[in-house]
Amino acid sequence: MESGKGGALQGVRVLEVAGQMTGYCGKLLAELGAEVVLVEAPEENFARRQPPFIDGRRDADASLSFAYYNTSKKSITLDLDQPEGCQMLRDLVADYHILIEGEPPGALASKGLDYKILQALTPSLVMTSLTAFGQTGPYANFAFSDLTLLALGGMLYLAGYPDTPPMGAYGNQAINAAGMYGAVGTLIALRAVRNGQPGRHVDVSAQECVALGMENAVQMFELEGVIRKRFAGTQRQAGTSVFASSDGYVLLMAAGLASNQFWLNTVKWLISEGVPRAEELGGEKWLNVEYLQTEDAKREFLDIFGPFAQARTSEYLYEKGQQFRVPICPVCSPRDVVSNAQLRSRNYFVDVPSAPAGRDLKMPGPPYRLQATPWRIQGAAPSLGEHNIEIYSRAGVAASRLAALASAGVL
Amino acid sequence: MERLPLAGLRVADFSWMGAGSYATKMLADFGAEVIKIESMANLDNLRMSRPFKDKIPGVNRSGYFADRNTSKRSMTINMKHEKGKLIARQLIAQSDIVCNNFTPGVMERFGLGYEEVAAFKANIVYISMSMQGNSGPHRDYLGYGMTMGALTGLQHLTGAPDREPAGTGTNYPDHIPNPCHAVVAIMASLIHRDSTGEGQYIDLAQTEPTLALLGPVILDYTVNGRVQQRRANRHDYMSPHGIYPCHGDDRWIAIAVETDAQWRALASVLGMPLWMTEATWSSAEQRLAKQSELDDRLATETCGWDNDELMLALQVHGVAAGSVRDVADILEKDAQLAHRGHWLRLDHPEMGRTIYNAQPMRMSDLAVTPTRPAPMLGADTEDICVSLLGMNPKEVAALQEEGALR
Repeated sequence: MESGKGGALQGVRVLEVAGQMTGYCGKLLAELGAEVVLVEAPEENFARRQPPFIDGRRDADASLSFAYYNTSKKSITLDLDQPEGCQMLRDLVADYHILIEGEPPGALASKGLDYKILQALTPSLVMTSLTAFGQTGPYANFAFSDLTLLALGGMLYLAGYPDTPPMGAYGNQAINAAGMYGAVGTLIALRAVRNGQPGRHVDVSAQECVALGMENAVQMFELEGVIRKRFAGTQRQAGTSVFASSDGYVLLMAAGLASNQFWLNTVKWLISEGVPRAEELGGEKWLNVEYLQTEDAKREFLDIFGPFAQARTSEYLYEKGQQFRVPICPVCSPRDVVSNAQLRSRNYFVDVPSAPAGRDLKMPGPPYRLQATPWRIQGAAPSLGEHNIEIYSRAGVAASRLAALASAGVL
Repeated sequence: MERLPLAGLRVADFSWMGAGSYATKMLADFGAEVIKIESMANLDNLRMSRPFKDKIPGVNRSGYFADRNTSKRSMTINMKHEKGKLIARQLIAQSDIVCNNFTPGVMERFGLGYEEVAAFKANIVYISMSMQGNSGPHRDYLGYGMTMGALTGLQHLTGAPDREPAGTGTNYPDHIPNPCHAVVAIMASLIHRDSTGEGQYIDLAQTEPTLALLGPVILDYTVNGRVQQRRANRHDYMSPHGIYPCHGDDRWIAIAVETDAQWRALASVLGMPLWMTEATWSSAEQRLAKQSELDDRLATETCGWDNDELMLALQVHGVAAGSVRDVADILEKDAQLAHRGHWLRLDHPEMGRTIYNAQPMRMSDLAVTPTRPAPMLGADTEDICVSLLGMNPKEVAALQEEGALR
């Protein structure tokens, strides 16, 4: 690990029982300066099997998903299916401030690793459990995937085209949501500990996190009796939709916000471009949201804006629209994102030299810039058990015990 | 009353609309005193956004606003008024955190940019959550949650391959990625301040957290040169993995099969249709190779089922399945969210008892939060002026008369 100015969480020590749910939560803490130690099963780690892979490789260091979600962490191996492994974890916890885990509810308790026992040993411990549905309840032990969580959490129904099944958001967003809220809860509880409050168990439900992504749908139903539906491929109201450009798509939000300013700006822009019939969009009726929701309005807007947009690049529409203070932007592919001028100017992407991967890995960088304590990648994702000696010897585990555990297959 | 974990912290909250308000809501729900600085002269648009109680528009009637501003106090300050700016300064001088999600330059126009604030309140934790950050050629660009979804690749990657990109249908970055990242950054900064006395400036560009959730797909491009495309509800290695129709209008179930044993369990629950027992579908590899056909055939088996009944039957056999909940279902039929106590009804002075989301995490010894509804516009102005800023009620009335506090 490099030296240099420490992060905001310098000195905070975290154990992360590696699992399907925990990666992003641990990464957030690690890149703010905490020492995050991944506790991996000696042979089986879900996260190391997740696609995509480097150049089609399938070894334990080939997963790009693992390589991303586990930067800045250390790795030790420990078999929690063996009593000696569980005892070791109980011994380790005393030196740590935070334990993050995402095992099925009850799994750790059955091994004597539930919060009550751990807190009795380490009263200031913050333990964060990230699960699909929370620690208790009728669905607590349901099988799940990210898609079933998006479905049960209510976000899925809002996404997709009216004439197809709903479409799940890309990229394990339900699991990510649990990771994000997990980090929030962890740090709230940690700061309280620093201010004299006891340690706490933070119980995060991914389904419940997803429910926070329903926008105003819940209130629309309760207050207006309206069930919000999906609308992709249609204009939500005239001027607010995805439109084809000459080289892709743009997203325009000319209307539907509380003020009419963006509509007026859009009309001004289109007139300045000499778009045929653009001045027709300047009439009084277009300032009425109810009119914008009619099929007539949508058709007329598309007739005027559609051909103009289709003859220009997304980049052109972005730059020119923004000059007129119109909320418009390109719909970017991963390639577009990596070459985005704004992100490049902010040095957003980082190159992480990775010995396990055998190359540099260019990946998303700081999600926030903390001026005094910069976000920082502390190193590439570790190889399996890379830090066994460092971490176990620091914890005072005698070499003879380590050797015995290793030969029993506990490490 | 129990001591909430963030009790004792004060937030001067200039945030409005989506992400900023949702971030400070978390701080408020966990016990911080969040003072929302608002103005009749420049209203938070969300206060005038649907839905309204009884469908009657009004600054204290929006359910959308209410859900995003629980547990806060509201103070009206006209930031275009010189005395208003001065009062905001006095408030910040007694605060721990300043939060805003304006375009860069707005806080500076108030005389309250980070440098200016740090000059009179050195240890302030100050977060700016602009659309694209405080530097770079696009720093002044306009946008909302949906445009952030488009700029980051999330929209491109979500939807059917032969259709226009669908996205989430919501301003997703506003609801989860940006507020959560903001609070993580704020909490880390407070922890740093507690141990060193040092405050700091946080620049959060609202595109960058969502992009940070797309690391693997970005790496697939930067390492392998592969530009992934949207693929409806398909998965790299699970099959079937999709949304299948159920009995009724627009009723669906999500099913995700990871192992061949789960495939056999799915067949068994569906009554062992002959085709599902054929060897041609028995391995994931075979199923992945013929997904379109598989999806079509599976749809004919699921479409007679009630989605919740099918979900429960599959779950008994360990098959990942979840009903696609519309909003009525999620409020009325979801036994798990009911068990968690997720849906709260809080008593609002003008709206009465209306619905709110709980925070999605529980802490061992704490009750579910929030417990207080959104504030009426300006409800706490006088009290804050008197008890915090040391004015007498006459001075407050005079400032209101002058238009500094409205």
